[in-house]
Formats: sequence, C-alpha cells, structure tokens
Amino acid sequence: MSTENNNPTPKKKRKFSRRKFFKRGGIILGTTLIGVYFGRNIIRRKVAQIAGDMDLPLGIMNMEPDFWFEIMEDNTVLLKLAKMEMGQGIFTGAAMIAAEELGVTVEQINVQPATTKNGPTDMLGTGGSSSTSGMYTPLREVAATMREMLISAAAKIWNVDASTISVGSGILQSGLQQLSYAEVTQQTTEWVVPKTPALKPESEFQYIGKEYKRVDLKPKVMGESIFSIDMELPDMLYATILYCPYIGGTLKSVNSDDAIKHPGVVKVERSDDWIGVIAENRFASVMACRKLKAEWDVPKMWQQSDIDEMIKPENGVSFIKLQKDGSIDDLDKENTFAQTYNTPIGVHAQMEPNGTIAHVQGDKALIITGTQWADNVQGKIAKAIGIKKKNVEIKTTFLGGGFGGRYFQSTAPAAAKLSQLVGKPVHLLRTREEEFQNRYYRPPSHHKLRAKLSEDGMIETIDHVYGSADMAIKANAGDLVLKMLGADFAAGGHGTRVLYNIKNRHSKIVNCKLPFPTGIWRGVGQFPNTFAIESFIDELAIKAGKDPIQFRIDHLTDTGDPLIVRAKKVLETLAEKSGWKSPKREDIGRGVALCEDRKSFAAAMIEVKKVDGKIKVTRVVQVVDPGKIINPDGVRMQVEGATMMGISACLYEATYVKDSQFTATNYHQYPMAMLSDSPEIEVIFTEGSEKPYGVGEPPIGPVAPAIVNAIFDLTGERKRRLPLY
Amino acid sequence: MKISFSVNGNPVNVDVDPETPLLWVVRDELKLKATKFGCGKAVCGSCSLHINGDLVRSCSYPVKYAEGKQVTTLEGLSESEKKLHPVQEAWMEINVPQCGYCQPGFMMAAAKLIQEIPNPTEEDIRKNISNICRCGTHPRIIKAILKAAELNKALIAES
Ligand code: FES
Ligand code: FES
Repeated sequence: MSTENNNPTPKKKRKFSRRKFFKRGGIILGTTLIGVYFGRNIIRRKVAQIAGDMDLPLGIMNMEPDFWFEIMEDNTVLLKLAKMEMGQGIFTGAAMIAAEELGVTVEQINVQPATTKNGPTDMLGTGGSSSTSGMYTPLREVAATMREMLISAAAKIWNVDASTISVGSGILQSGLQQLSYAEVTQQTTEWVVPKTPALKPESEFQYIGKEYKRVDLKPKVMGESIFSIDMELPDMLYATILYCPYIGGTLKSVNSDDAIKHPGVVKVERSDDWIGVIAENRFASVMACRKLKAEWDVPKMWQQSDIDEMIKPENGVSFIKLQKDGSIDDLDKENTFAQTYNTPIGVHAQMEPNGTIAHVQGDKALIITGTQWADNVQGKIAKAIGIKKKNVEIKTTFLGGGFGGRYFQSTAPAAAKLSQLVGKPVHLLRTREEEFQNRYYRPPSHHKLRAKLSEDGMIETIDHVYGSADMAIKANAGDLVLKMLGADFAAGGHGTRVLYNIKNRHSKIVNCKLPFPTGIWRGVGQFPNTFAIESFIDELAIKAGKDPIQFRIDHLTDTGDPLIVRAKKVLETLAEKSGWKSPKREDIGRGVALCEDRKSFAAAMIEVKKVDGKIKVTRVVQVVDPGKIINPDGVRMQVEGATMMGISACLYEATYVKDSQFTATNYHQYPMAMLSDSPEIEVIFTEGSEKPYGVGEPPIGPVAPAIVNAIFDLTGERKRRLPLY
Repeated sequence: MKISFSVNGNPVNVDVDPETPLLWVVRDELKLKATKFGCGKAVCGSCSLHINGDLVRSCSYPVKYAEGKQVTTLEGLSESEKKLHPVQEAWMEINVPQCGYCQPGFMMAAAKLIQEIPNPTEEDIRKNISNICRCGTHPRIIKAILKAAELNKALIAES
C-alpha cells in the first residue's frame, strides 16, 4: 500500500489520560478535528436537489475519525455508522469503502449502528438512495486520515521515517519491525493529525468493485437479535397505543374501565390524540387496548372520490415548473395526443412494525428504535418530555425494512412519555393494523401528458403535469426549507422531468392538499412519474410506428451531456442483451422503460404472459448504470428488490379511503407480490461514471411502465391506472 | 396457567395467559427472538416455527395448545453454528437476506418444504410458500431452497 503523501502537518496535538483510550474492551482514538467536508448550507442543497443537478450531500457533519472508528484489542476495527442498515446493504458497502483506505481487510471491520452518543450524527437521515454516493469520498478520507495517524504514531514508536512504513491487514511494518493497529493504539497517547491524504487511485483498489457477501449475512441467517423489536431492558413493560382510526378525527372521550381491569395491565394513559395501555406483557397490552371504548370526532367523512378529485392538478394549491424549454402553445391546437395516468395511495408495509423502547430517568432518556433519521427523533423526544436534546441518547438497530416509512413519524415520543409516566422502560410496538391505518402514505398521483409528433414521427412538443401531495418536508425539515422551496417536492420532483431531448418540453409538479399525511416511499416521485411518462412515450412510439427502444434512443440526441450518453448506453445494452430483438412466442408480451434518478439509470425489458386470465410477469432484464459499483452483488440485490417492489406496486398494491378510513387494515387487504409472482430477473451493469450513485430507488422506476407496455404488446389493451388488480 | 412443552429440545414451563400466542411466549418469556411478529393474523409467515414437525404460524397459535409438544424455532434448526441446517447453509451461500426480518419465517417454511418435497421444482416452491417479504428477496429465496434441497439430499446420501 502506498504511503506517499505521508507528510503529516500537525494541526492539533492533544493529550489524553490513558484511561480514555480503553473503552468497552476496545480503544478509542483521541479526538481530532478533520474539518467539514461539505457546504454548510443544507438548505441550498435541498433546493439544488429539486433541480436534480447536484448529488445529495452526506448529512454527517462530524468527520472526526474517532467518531467513526474504534480499534479493538483483537485488532478489528469498529465502524460506527450513522447511516442505517435497513436491508440496502450499506453496512457492507461502508466496510468495503473504509477497508480500502484503512489498510485492513473487509472482514476486520465490524460495522455497528452509531448511537447519538458514541458516533457521528446524521442530519439528513438514511434515504434518497444517497448513502453510498454521499459517503464514498468522505469515508475514504476519514479512513485514510486514520491510517496516516497510525503510521505516524508507529514512526514515532520505532523512531523511523514514516515513509518506510507500509500497512496491510491491520499490521504496520517497517523493515523487520511489526506492530498491529491495536498495539500502536495502545502505545500512543498523542496523535498527529495529517492533512487529508490523497486517496488511492482506482487501479489500486483491492475491495471496491469486488463481489462481497453481506457483512450482516450470518446474524440474519442465524436469526440473532438485531432489530429494535428484539431489544429488551431490565424490568421492561409493554405498551400498545390506540390512535384515531379516522382521517382528521380527534379523540372525544374514552372509557377505559374494562381495559384497566384486564389482567396484567399497569396503566392506561390518555394523551391528546391517543390512548396508551401499559402492561406486563405484550398480549395483555394488545388485548386491553381492544377493550378501550373510544369515541372520535370525525369532522368529515372522506371518500376515495374526494381524494381522486383533490389530487387532480387543476385542484392543486401551488406548483413548480421543473422544465420550460421552448413553447408548448402548440398543444392547444389540433393533433395533440393527450393521456391521463393515475397511481394510488401506497403503504410502506415494511415487515417490522414501528416500535421503540424508551427509558426515561429524570432528565435523561435512552431510546432504542429503528429509524431512518435518529437526529430527528432525538429532537422530538426532547420536546415531547421536556428534556435537553443532548440528554437523549438514541440507539438504533438494524431496521426490518424502511422504504421511507421510518423517516418522519416515530413511535419514540409516545414511548418516552409512557416510560416517564411509569418510571420504567417501556417497549411500545404498533400493531400491524395501526401500521396500515395510521401512518403517512405514498401520495396518490394524477398525471396529464400531452404531446405532438412531427411528420417523421419524432416528438416535437411534450408537456407533463404531475399532481401529487406533500412529501412531508414541511412538517419535518422545518418551515424555513419549505419557504425556500415554495412547495414541498424534494422527493416527488424526481422523474417529473422529461429526460429525452425534445425541443419544446415542459414539466411541472403541482402540490395538492390531502386530508391525511403523505411522505416518502421507495422512489416516491420516480415510481409514479416513470410509470406515466414511460407509458406515454410507449404510446407515442406505437403511434409513430417505431420500435419502442429505438424511438427512445432517437430522442436521446447527443448534446455532449454525459447523462444522455449514459442513458443511451443503457438502452443500447438493453436492446442488445435482453433478447428484445429475438423472436418471441405469441403468448408473450414485451415492454421496455427507462428511468434516470439521481444520476443513476435503469432500463428494464419485461416479458408478461396470461396465466388463468391473469397477467404474470415472467422475465425481467434490468440494465443499470449506478456509476461506480462498490459491491456488484449488493447492487444486484437492490435491483432485484426494487424489481419485486415495482411488480408488487404495479399489479396489486393500493389502499383506498372509505368513510374517512383506509380500506387496508392488514396484509390480507393489501396484497403484495409473493414467491408465486417472482419472475426470472437478470441484472446487467454499465458503469458509466467513476462516482457511485444511488441504487435503492432508481430500478423501481422502469418496472411498472415496462409491465403495462408489455401488456399492451400482448393484448392491445392500454392500462393507465395502477394497480392492475 | 402453567404450560409445559419443549423448545429446541429443552423442556420449558411457562405461567401465562393460556390464550397468549405462542409467538409472544417464545419471544418474550423464553427470549428466543428469531421468530418475528409481522401481522398477527397468520397472513405473513414471519412467525413461522415448527410444532411436532408441522409448520405453524405462531402469532395465531394459543400457547395452551403447545402443552406437551415439541417446538422448534430458527435458533434450534441447525445442530450448531459449525454444522448448519441445509437451509441456513444455502441461505449463506446465496446471500439471501436484505433487511432480514422475514427470513426466519421463510427458512422455517423452507425447512419443512424440503422435508415434504425433497426434490422441489421452482413451481413447488412458488406454490407452497406464502410468506411475505417486502425487500424483494424472492428470487434468491427460490434459488436458496433449490440449493438447500440439493444439500439435504447430499446429507441423506452420506448418512
Ligand atoms: S405474524 Fe404470524 S403470520 Fe404474520
Ligand atoms: S428481507 Fe426484508 S422483508 Fe424480507
């Protein structure tokens, strides 16, 4: 490994008592300040996200190596990660990225979720497919800095020049002398922090780009306790909460006589808008909760027809134009082709229900919870129980799925209140019914597309108007952000714009008000927008009498824009390798679609057939360009997962509003893709950039439109409203 | 009520409301946390375990019926960490889990399936396992069960 650049410029020297280094059997490096790697103005970046021109920043501002790493006595390295592992494989990617510069093997790194006490906090939370792209450079820089610190410490111990020292597998070596990282750390009391060292060139990568199994594979296969639902504290009680089951409803009165008498119940507590039952065990709290007799004030009986009306762009309250190239006046004249597309209300339906273990003691609180945004939870707790934010310690765990559903609302404030009340740890867990009926949802959408074709079958003019609702930035990122943005589209804006080079092209996102909370969901903007636009493009291709892939390529004229070059490459690869051009059986329909999201591309070719009168997806080929790939199998997993979720949302998923309640109460009323829906999935990569971009969401985009395009190919019938069943 | 049964080969006695779902007894009384709560309605399969060799959704199985029976949870599926059950071994090899939450239920269902159908086709797997996974590990689960069946046959041939 290269040790050039080892020219440490002491920034700061600090002395610590030796005791400070030994913690939990491991060793903590002294505090050092490396500096902030990112623009300080988060708000400006949020705005920039809307334009889609910048990468998501890393929300982690604290780049001190000791916050990230601890060197353990057994010479492994603890990496405390503020990004949450919710299945997306970020722990594995982070271990690979860190190992690369740290001079250890991937296996020597043990990744654990950072708590708000021991590790870096993350102001932005985990989401938006931003973790890998955001961390790629900073994590390597912190790791490289730490490696250089170890090298200069060893140089001092041996009294040699640092340039004589090489590192590998956690061992430092100079001539015949060897010390492990742990040994050097134990012998060092004073650390010299170098300027950020230069990073390894790609050609020297040992781990990045290689196939690695998940670092959390074994605990997950052995069923170890890694989720927040699995955690316990001594003397813990169990809580269940009844929330208002009506949209916009409030609690009028409650009779809890029967509930309190239920064996095992310790306390029933009424808050402004919920009633909590605390009991000695889970079953008692759930059963007693069912005995609560609550009356609710329901100001209005909302119906699905109201929601359908409210989500129409013409009924929106504000809008942002995201594209305004040329003029679309032409579309008001004749020969305009216009269509409308709709997507329904979606539920996250992650398998682990939301829950929290809270222990409030005096002015301190310990919170164990699975959240995508610990920093936000910390503030909420402080507010809810009136203590200082710094006195709230949040321990996060592995998440039993996230999909955007653990970003905003949290069970932690209520759990903290209940714990404060009984003076004991309380494990609050939502029932699946509450998860379906009382959450924030993927907003429904209503898209209007209009276009005009030229005589030679090219799109001359196109206009996309996308009506959807709040993505929850307002309630959670604060008013300031909202004011800067004018509307609430940080997430929903994705995919609204038309990617193809069309002279006259407009797109706009319209904010519609809905009576229930809505928020992010895996590809919350990408999913509906790509469904609408890529269905429409298919309709236009057929109108123009062109091959749907070629039609798309024809509209990606090379302007020197690297994004266009990458998009084209993805489509060309799809045409070549998916079997698109090969002869097909009559009972098979084929469809394609393309999407770009956060500078990642995904194009899918999907085959469907009818089995017992029902459409079945039989084969999916996804060509994905996520830029630089850290772990190919990790990316493959994400593509497979997004593909299944896309099939699920396209074919089955929806909840509806009836008498101010959501129709789905549990999984049986919210059907999702099962093993029986699982097609053959092939994932092909084109790595179009040296930087990694997100891959958790982009590949969900092309799935639904490719399915409906394939259905058209098979049956001649055009589906413009999801779900299909 | 006092109820006695065995879990993963060990006798246990619990004193709980006899209507308590076995799931909560296993998790909270016996501290075996691999068996998961997903829906509470026998829909998702997260809570699957074996009772006297049968596949059961424990969220909907009152503990009183477990009296005298043999319960196996994922923790008891493999002989040891070194000698994994073919299902767990296959799961490791195919790198199946994402978030991992649904996986114990799937593995318990898979273990039963390869016992009933030692040579399953993909169709057998699709038809017979109705657990839910939100992360979309479906394609890998199918591959892993085929692999597990192979490993299982090799094991049987050996012995
Ligand atoms: S929790 Fe038992 S089947 Fe879902
Ligand atoms: S792996 Fe996450 S639900 Fe299946």
